[in-house]
Amino acid sequence: MDKIRVLVAKLGLDIHWRGALSVAKLLRDAGMEVIYVGNQFPEAIVNMAIQEGVDVIGLSTLAGNHSTLGPKVIKLLQEKNINDITVVIGGVIPPVDIPGLKAAGMVEVFTPNTPIDTIVKLIKKAVREKKAASA
Amino acid sequence: MTVNKCYDKEYIQAVVQERTKWEQETLKGKNDTGDYNTYSGIPIKLIYSPEDVSDINYLEDIGFSGQPPFVRGVYPNMYRGRLFTVRQLAGFGAPEDCNKRIKFLLDHGATGASLLFDLPTIRGYDSDSPEAEGNVGQCGSAIDSLQDIEALFDGIDIAKVSSSIVTHLPSTTVPILSMYLVMAEKRGVDFKDLAGTNQNDFIMETAVGSGPEILNPRQSFRLQCDAVEYASRYLPRWNPISFNGYNLREAGTNAIQEVAIAIANAIQTAEEMIKRGLTIDMVARRMSFFWDLCNDFFEEIAKCRASRKVYYDIIKNRFKAQELRSCLMRFHVQTAGISLPAIEPLNNIARSAIQGLAAILGGAQSLHIDSYDEAFSAPTESAALISLRTQQILQNETNVCNTVDPLAGSYYVESLTEEMVKRINSYIEEIEKMGGLVKAVETGWLHQEIANHAYQEQKGIESGENKIVGVNCFNAEEAQSAEIEVFEYPATEERQKAKLIELRKNRDNEKVQACLNRVAEVCRTSENVMPTVKEAVREYATLGEIQKVFRKELGLWKFPLI
Repeated sequence: MDKIRVLVAKLGLDIHWRGALSVAKLLRDAGMEVIYVGNQFPEAIVNMAIQEGVDVIGLSTLAGNHSTLGPKVIKLLQEKNINDITVVIGGVIPPVDIPGLKAAGMVEVFTPNTPIDTIVKLIKKAVREKKAASA
Repeated sequence: MTVNKCYDKEYIQAVVQERTKWEQETLKGKNDTGDYNTYSGIPIKLIYSPEDVSDINYLEDIGFSGQPPFVRGVYPNMYRGRLFTVRQLAGFGAPEDCNKRIKFLLDHGATGASLLFDLPTIRGYDSDSPEAEGNVGQCGSAIDSLQDIEALFDGIDIAKVSSSIVTHLPSTTVPILSMYLVMAEKRGVDFKDLAGTNQNDFIMETAVGSGPEILNPRQSFRLQCDAVEYASRYLPRWNPISFNGYNLREAGTNAIQEVAIAIANAIQTAEEMIKRGLTIDMVARRMSFFWDLCNDFFEEIAKCRASRKVYYDIIKNRFKAQELRSCLMRFHVQTAGISLPAIEPLNNIARSAIQGLAAILGGAQSLHIDSYDEAFSAPTESAALISLRTQQILQNETNVCNTVDPLAGSYYVESLTEEMVKRINSYIEEIEKMGGLVKAVETGWLHQEIANHAYQEQKGIESGENKIVGVNCFNAEEAQSAEIEVFEYPATEERQKAKLIELRKNRDNEKVQACLNRVAEVCRTSENVMPTVKEAVREYATLGEIQKVFRKELGLWKFPLI
């Protein structure tokens, strides 16, 4: 399999960049190509993801906007008929919101303290399944 | 012969001799291997003795509380004179919602208020702007106009209750402080009775927090200084700046960097104020600091003690302050949110209590103890109450407030304090060699420092070197995480939008525009923006409208990260 390409973005106005950047670097250490784009709104995230031809969009938010802006990213991808990009999200996300995010099409929801090995494993699995499904 | 050290030379020689013997005879064969370091990387010895403080002259290097160099505390009688302020944060929903939480905390014995704002407010967008979508009333309260500040403080006596207004950014501080002042004028409260603090730190805007639109560091620093200058002239009991080590630490620095970077900002601010014609005594007496107390118990206490000494030395000896009051490093503490995992969250009550204890032993002036549900959402009312109760237990049941600086004289704590002083000073020197903190931000150096630290610390957690109980050691078979009630934010966006529609209909829009034009003109000069912003908010110009002027006139900047 080619190197997995990941776009990591801070979702909207969230100011906490520590987690996003640390995960970005650790994904790089795990052999992925990572593009960190800082704070972006859904339209820009989707456009950059298409331009960069990424396999995965990793959204990060600790700001409580996961259930509004997160699904918006997925919806924009669907509107553009993009089916081969996996979207995952991580940050401070109350457990009660996880089922809603999954139902909206978020492939994985990473809460605080998720080990990087788990993130890497689940991203690889999701990308593999996505490729198999669209092949 | 004058003895100017705690121990004379011969006594220390005897100690060294005895220590060597002890190592050879008593310690021999006992396990003393491995590297032990503080979180900041200061080596920790197995045991400390007079040998480790042999260079210290008690009267000069430590002294008594309320006396230079203030290692033991800023006030002579410390907590016997005045207990630290119990200042628990509150912030969510519309200002009307948040007002209820503030009153709840005050009714239960909190002695000050601390207000947190939502991200659209902090980043300068009105609740009805597209950028605000999904964030209105989340993580803090929404403030759009003077009306909201009035709702936030409804029924709270601002002449009596001191308020910490966590505006983070200078560009947010200027309009929100202005709203607070106009509210005071309307209520007939004299400016000299207003007690409180604004966060107001340009690194929050340009390095510690990220955002889609960021003012350039020089102009952000200018707004920071505008608020400081205004308050130094007109608000005798207001702290117009809280140099924010806390969020720096949370973003990714160690204890030494946290203190050094905040003090480097204080230095540059003082220099700027002197350029603007103020004296150091006019400014420094109201500069305040904000520390993050993490898990390394003794290092955190040593940090607090060391920070007072470093600051005293700079304000007294470098800036030649005349008044002792100017040399006091007064600080607020918040316990470390970053240290509170989502796994087995009730354990966080223990972590926060220990960090709170360190704050008291470090001589803090006010304290917020984090709630156990930090990793899930804003605290529920019951979680916030446990934090408040933790403070009250520490104040009333443990006797720790009864004597000043009880860890003074500990060979370890004194030696660690001295080492922190040295390391903080040398890090400040490094920043100054670069041309000061504004420059260190402009070049992206500070961002790299933070990012590197955060990455290294995370690697330590992944490898298990940095231990977190229940997370990477002593993991339960089935990690329980969600067995707690989680706070749900009240729906806020529509309510704030409705208020804005009314506001824009009922205010004199021509007057508002004229005021905003005047703000724009002043932005282009080097005049202080505070007076014109104050007039604009009086006419109900919104926070977002004022920030839009700042962005246009002062110029944006790209956040320098990989």
